[in-house]
Amino acid sequence: MPLIVTNSGSYPRIGDAPEAQRHRRAYARAERGEISEVEWRAVEDEVTREVVLEQIAAGVEVPTDGQVRWYDPISHLARSLAHVTINGLLRYFDTNFYFRQPVVSGPLARREPILLRDLEVARAAAAPHAVKPVLTGPYSLAQGSVLEGGYRDRAALAHAYAEVLAQEIADLARAGASLIQVDEPFLLQHPEDVDLVRATFRVLAAARGQARLACYTYFGDALPLYQELQTFPVEVLGLDLTYSPKLSRHIAEAGSDKVLGLGLVDGRNTKLETAETVYPVLDRVLPRLGETVYLNPSCGLEFLPRARARAKLETLARLARGYAGPQRSGR
Amino acid sequence: MSRAKLRDLGLDLPLLPTSTVGSFPKPDYLVEARARLGKNAISRAELSDLEKKATEFWVRTQEELGVDVLVDGEQYRGDMVAYFAELMGGFARGGLVRSYGNRYYHKPAIVGEARWPGPMTVEWWRWTQALTDRPVKGMLTGPYTLMDWSFNDHYPDRKAACLALARELRKELEALLEAGAKVVQIDEPALSVRPDELGFAVEAMHGVVDGLRAYYITHACFGAFETIYPGLLDLPVDNLDLAISHSALDLLAMFEKDPFTKDLSLGVLDVHSHVVESPEEVKARIRRGAGVLPRERIWVDPDCGLKTRTVEESRRKLAAMMAAVRELRGAPA
Repeated sequence: MPLIVTNSGSYPRIGDAPEAQRHRRAYARAERGEISEVEWRAVEDEVTREVVLEQIAAGVEVPTDGQVRWYDPISHLARSLAHVTINGLLRYFDTNFYFRQPVVSGPLARREPILLRDLEVARAAAAPHAVKPVLTGPYSLAQGSVLEGGYRDRAALAHAYAEVLAQEIADLARAGASLIQVDEPFLLQHPEDVDLVRATFRVLAAARGQARLACYTYFGDALPLYQELQTFPVEVLGLDLTYSPKLSRHIAEAGSDKVLGLGLVDGRNTKLETAETVYPVLDRVLPRLGETVYLNPSCGLEFLPRARARAKLETLARLARGYAGPQRSGR
Repeated sequence: MSRAKLRDLGLDLPLLPTSTVGSFPKPDYLVEARARLGKNAISRAELSDLEKKATEFWVRTQEELGVDVLVDGEQYRGDMVAYFAELMGGFARGGLVRSYGNRYYHKPAIVGEARWPGPMTVEWWRWTQALTDRPVKGMLTGPYTLMDWSFNDHYPDRKAACLALARELRKELEALLEAGAKVVQIDEPALSVRPDELGFAVEAMHGVVDGLRAYYITHACFGAFETIYPGLLDLPVDNLDLAISHSALDLLAMFEKDPFTKDLSLGVLDVHSHVVESPEEVKARIRRGAGVLPRERIWVDPDCGLKTRTVEESRRKLAAMMAAVRELRGAPA
């Protein structure tokens, strides 16, 4: 059974050493108007290439672009849409990270592709590895937004975001992305909205062309929604196993109709996982899963310092290799 | 009940006691001095003199405004978690992590057994208390927030880290009480982040305070308060300071269902707004609280630390708060 190591989304754009802070310095200079938009974009491209290569060097088989260009998981996709302005900072779940709230005042419309260029830059660096584009899902975007006009309620706004994201997904699929990940962390906070989220995924799924679609949830316990998630129109489900000690037992009992992305490595804490903690979970769930299983951090890695983010991916890759290897017997 | 405890502690506070949440803005000369210390352009002793000057300024300001229970204003602290993490054993500075935009900070990491290094806040408390006849609060960051805002490389899980920190913070509390502190605020702004962990957060607070005699206040901002109510009432403290003055929460409905059993500090000033409230606005917010609890159990304060405001904004906001409280003290209940 192939265990495919993948990243879950973001990757730290700077490191602790001064030479690893090119992005931070350029950002400050761009804010002060000391470098041009073109120069600033070139730095973002360069850092994107760097983090893609770093993920691959750590042993990741399906890297992401690291979301290097994203201000945060919510405002990045919304800021260029029609009738959206960007508001003040709000805490992002129980992290010490803050996002800017999009304010929606009228019908949403995409003016231009948002993620296509990032995919192309990352893919050129990653070849022959495939790159997985990662988007925040329509429901989470709606939950993170302020609704001032254009839609009667948050459900209608989620559907409107789905229409916009479907265009993104169609572009990415046409450009050759074979796996596209859509994150819905807010769903775990609002399990009562699962029917709405599933309905928005139907809109996304209709646009996926030849690409496979993944729905990832994290920052909460997915166990109560596990059966519902199995009915989503996606090929892959990403699950945060660090929040829910019982989830792996449930997977072992219930199996999965979908390919799973197992979030076994904690993307929120620096402590490195070991075979003693990870292998028993694999022993439990793998017999019930299909031919392909993804191993990934529980969430994007931007909550960690750069060196530790890399160490997390190295750990994941080492554990995946070790599990498939001869040490497996005798456990 | 808590009124009796305050009297037993020798504290005779007026109706609607007033206080502040902890931090005050640092005057420009102190901000500059802290930056210069980072470049080794001034000595630690020179910075300390300026911190004392700023602390005395805030003590006199609170006295002039008529605040009842004072704070030292935390002129010598940066971040409420990093201050303790930099002093305690078992912590390392941690790598750079983005907080938003192009802002990064060193998130502390627990890398060994947490260890009390000796008094961390006591000298400042003692120095400040000596400036005034009014009671000065001891100010600690609670074990759950220290744990949640740090990486944990050492303990097997979050609970183990939290309980270990509680054990060490208790030693700081003992030192504060030995120095004479009677009112101690133990801040837990992270308390509501994971409602399923409230049980061990409460257990940790027991570990800090059980058997130690003082009037305890816990400040818990960052909303989602409704997700941990009424379990929050299990915290072994006398007063909960909740940043709820601006929320749309229907307190009355919540408290009718599960009666609020502690004293309540009502945050009536919006520390994230430049706009200075009028005494009328503040009075309306206090009355909202007084509608759900007897006035004898209500304290009045800003909804968080004032360090994000300017010196002048802070002073004007507090003046509005004090004017409102003075009027209400004279009014019939």
